[in-house]
Amino acid sequence: MSHPFRLLETGFNPAAFNMGLDEALLRAVAEGKSLPTLRFYGWNPPAVSVGYFQGLREEIDVGACALDGVDIVRRITGGGAVFHHHEVTYSIVVPLAHPLARENILESYRLLLSGITEGLADLGIQSEFSPINDISAGGKKISGNAQTRKLGCILQHGTILLDVEVDRMFGLLKVPQEKAKGKLIADIKSRVTSVKHLLPKAGAESLESLFSTTVSALERGFARALDLEYARSDPSPEEHEAAGALAAEKFSSRSWTELR
Amino acid sequence: MKLELIGKPEGCKLLRATIDIDAAPRPDARIQAISIRGDFFAIPEEEFDALERALAGTELKDLGREFSARARERGLQCAGISGEGLDELVRHALTTTPQERN
Repeated sequence: MSHPFRLLETGFNPAAFNMGLDEALLRAVAEGKSLPTLRFYGWNPPAVSVGYFQGLREEIDVGACALDGVDIVRRITGGGAVFHHHEVTYSIVVPLAHPLARENILESYRLLLSGITEGLADLGIQSEFSPINDISAGGKKISGNAQTRKLGCILQHGTILLDVEVDRMFGLLKVPQEKAKGKLIADIKSRVTSVKHLLPKAGAESLESLFSTTVSALERGFARALDLEYARSDPSPEEHEAAGALAAEKFSSRSWTELR
Repeated sequence: MKLELIGKPEGCKLLRATIDIDAAPRPDARIQAISIRGDFFAIPEEEFDALERALAGTELKDLGREFSARARERGLQCAGISGEGLDELVRHALTTTPQERN
């Protein structure tokens, strides 16, 4: 039997709102006010997110981000720093009591990420789960993901790269050994790929169009892999209001951003 | 004294730790405060914050064992960080100079 799921496409928003909405969705699902939810979104302006356990100033060049007009936000999930620009971002919220929830974190990643590998296959890209939390295609990373469990729910969010901007990213992130920066950039370029790189026909497509194409493929992929039956909607007014409040009071606050 | 650890131990993500200790760096120096940072996962996250506080009073040589025991007690699921990994960083720090570590 298929699983009733809510499907949201919330467009492009600032980092604090994006993280606020993910947390608001988690709360609404936890309170039984909303169905388990799959959300697709983008970032405007571009942003860098840091993992819950990362030291902000150890990972991010805060001044460079300000100069480049790039938002900074701390996630409620662990994992590494991510530059969010040419990508599709998703979040999925599932109660721990749901048949799609797995207690073991790796197993949980494996199951939920099957939606992404299926969606990429829909686009014509063969990919595979690369533990702990990545998906790779042709041996290169194309998707990074992070998961937490709060209020009796799993929240997983992650990115699918549409294009790679390694040089810009390295201007925003701190590199432990500055001397090795050139080598590191070359190394990352050789280990990361994107939808645009893997689909010859995508080269002619604008990134806006590629975003839509990829979201549609991922929607179909998640539905097939996890047997989801979607109810397409917008966030509820309560969720929207909660997201705004979380954005203003938590995700934009210095105390949260500089937590570590 | 303050001890700064950084490294990517076997089976772990990149880990950084700042440890305030009550003596010169040696195995029996006691931890006064510890902050562990990195791109690892520990769920629930808030329990990890409490675990860090609970490590105060631990001798450096026991850090890994205590970390693992406290994580189990608190029901933490960790990925990309382990007691063994922290022990590896401590061992490295106690046998090298800060210049060698950087």
